[in-house]
Amino acid sequence: MTLFAWLSSILVAVIVLTVTAFGLWWERKLAGRMQSRLGPTIVGPIGLFQPIADLLKLVQKEPIIPQRADRALFWLAPPLTTLFALLVAALVPFGPKLAPANIDVGVPLIIALGGLALIPVWMAGWASHNKYALLGAMRAVAQSVSYGVPLVLTALVPVILAGSMNLNSIVAWQHRHHWLVVWPVFLGLPAFILFILAMLAEANRIPFDIPEAESELVAGVSTEYTGMHFGFIYLAEYVHTLVGSAVASTLFLGGWDGPFGPSVLWMVLKTCLLFSVLYWLRWSLVRLRADQLMALAWKWLVPAGLALVLLAAVWTQTPWGR
Amino acid sequence: MAVNEDALAYHHPLYDLMLNVPGLAVGLAPVDRLLTWGLKNSLWVFPMATSCCGIEYMAASASRVDIDRMGTIPRASPRQADVMLVAGTITVKMAPRVKRLWDQMPEPKWCIAMGSCAISGDFYRNLYSVVPGIDTFLPVDVYVPGCPPNPEAVMHGLLRLQEKVEAARAGHPVNAEPPPELFGAISPSLPRLTDQNRPPELSEEQVQASLTVVPEGDPGEVPVDLTPPSIPGALPDGVSTELAPLLKDRFGVAEIPADAPPLVPAERHVELAATLKALGYRQLVFVAASHHPAKKDGEAEAFEVAYALRTVGAGSKVASWRVRVPATESVPTLTPTFAGADWQEREQFDLVGVRFSGHPDLRRVMLPENWEGHPLRRDYPADHAAAPWR
Repeated sequence: MTLFAWLSSILVAVIVLTVTAFGLWWERKLAGRMQSRLGPTIVGPIGLFQPIADLLKLVQKEPIIPQRADRALFWLAPPLTTLFALLVAALVPFGPKLAPANIDVGVPLIIALGGLALIPVWMAGWASHNKYALLGAMRAVAQSVSYGVPLVLTALVPVILAGSMNLNSIVAWQHRHHWLVVWPVFLGLPAFILFILAMLAEANRIPFDIPEAESELVAGVSTEYTGMHFGFIYLAEYVHTLVGSAVASTLFLGGWDGPFGPSVLWMVLKTCLLFSVLYWLRWSLVRLRADQLMALAWKWLVPAGLALVLLAAVWTQTPWGR
Repeated sequence: MAVNEDALAYHHPLYDLMLNVPGLAVGLAPVDRLLTWGLKNSLWVFPMATSCCGIEYMAASASRVDIDRMGTIPRASPRQADVMLVAGTITVKMAPRVKRLWDQMPEPKWCIAMGSCAISGDFYRNLYSVVPGIDTFLPVDVYVPGCPPNPEAVMHGLLRLQEKVEAARAGHPVNAEPPPELFGAISPSLPRLTDQNRPPELSEEQVQASLTVVPEGDPGEVPVDLTPPSIPGALPDGVSTELAPLLKDRFGVAEIPADAPPLVPAERHVELAATLKALGYRQLVFVAASHHPAKKDGEAEAFEVAYALRTVGAGSKVASWRVRVPATESVPTLTPTFAGADWQEREQFDLVGVRFSGHPDLRRVMLPENWEGHPLRRDYPADHAAAPWR
């Protein structure tokens, strides 16, 4: 690897982790304002140091391993969840030149890594030796397998239109033509919405958060985790959402493409905006039931995704889409 | 059993390192201050909310007070919580569960007793089933008095806990907080909100009058109407008049008293229930038992069990009857006829000690399995010192 690639990898990792840490703060502020509260205000200026205090608290807590847990898997699972969520960030281009891993099969690799992030979740659920954790993990697996299908199908729409699986080429195509949600709008906008829905389900966020439904499963997969191990699982969820927003911005919102200024700024701006919209959804909607969740995936999202892929293929053969 | 708390307390390897390597404690003092700052500004609460105090705690999380301002959020799993906030009455059956959840929390951890029930049991403290204060089995750090305390008091309790955390980490001696004093019960002299005569706004005289305590034993003139409401087409006890001939002719009921449900022979009452069910009385309203100790005139110890059924739908009618058996005998169960009788009969067995013959699962349902005696019997000692939660 060249020095430039190293530096850009580190830059991206730092950007993602910083934005995630303050994403925690931002979510609590946003949730507070939506419920006519203030959110954190006391710890630091406008409560800005709240994630730091939480982190310092979490590292000081006693690590507890249940007596009958699988010790190795129990220890390994939480860091892996964060790692796999972060890996995806390496593939996202933050600028025409600023892509830590600019590879030609970017889209399938992102989907594959998203699926891989499921394995530590299952590990955590299995190793905890706790019925709530196991049920949560089973739900997470079932949900991710189901929603992986519409995720792949909708990600194929920009691939077909741009004629490339390289994320940077897809953004470059949008730079030359239009952002995908702008034109062809009848393909881009539904595909974007479907992608966001499937991505929310992959990240286990409301309205698809049955794997950690508090009213039924205590805290789902993370039920038995204390201290920083819980911190990793907590962080991974936010990194997953953030990186998912970044991927959605790349595929549908033109990625680093902007009218002026540096490309990184536009990428971060779009990602943060989408991230906030996802939190807006989270604090507005209620949780779907398990059967409703499956019905939505297989009865609506999968057929709609298939139709969009076919339409996109037809559109590329018309004079306007060529 | 005496437990050495110091031996059980968890020390983070970071502290051990700082304390055991000479000079490191001085060098890392700023780090320690930073860690303390993190610890006290991120108190995640495990709401052990069992009653009305829980509602006030929820209000403390909502707007106006918003304890999220100081970084306090609720966690559903005890593994991720720092503070156990016991909000509400803890019963003897609940106490072992509370203790277990407390043991599942990782160190360092703290406990807040919110409300007079958690602090002392309050006016339930002499009740057979209530723990008189959670500090009988949990190390309470902060007491938040009130019945229930208002949300601001919850926030004040958390702020006091922050001070305590900081003082303890700075090495200052932190004395155990004394529980607040118990006040004498004051009967409310202001009319309640539900009172028809309560004016929309209270005058100054009324407020002043409410501050003067009415001495006990002088309730004043309180007209109480004990006559039951009259239901059209029913006897005073609610038994539909159409049932009187049925009871007299088929079930050998000699008389139908005006002030109590009619007494039916125990061996016939299952048949009566089935007959009534066929007549449309499809819902079992309640099963209630009472204990009658032996009297001096030679009347043997006995149990009475009252059942009530009702028709479903508009113009609902009620049918009720009593069964009386000597204390040595059992009452035939109604469970095969009304599945709803299962738990209600278990409750009567649990609290009064009536046996129901043919019941599929006659176990205790409310009290702990190892409870001795039946607390709603007349001969149950009122000052019964049951303390299995310790």
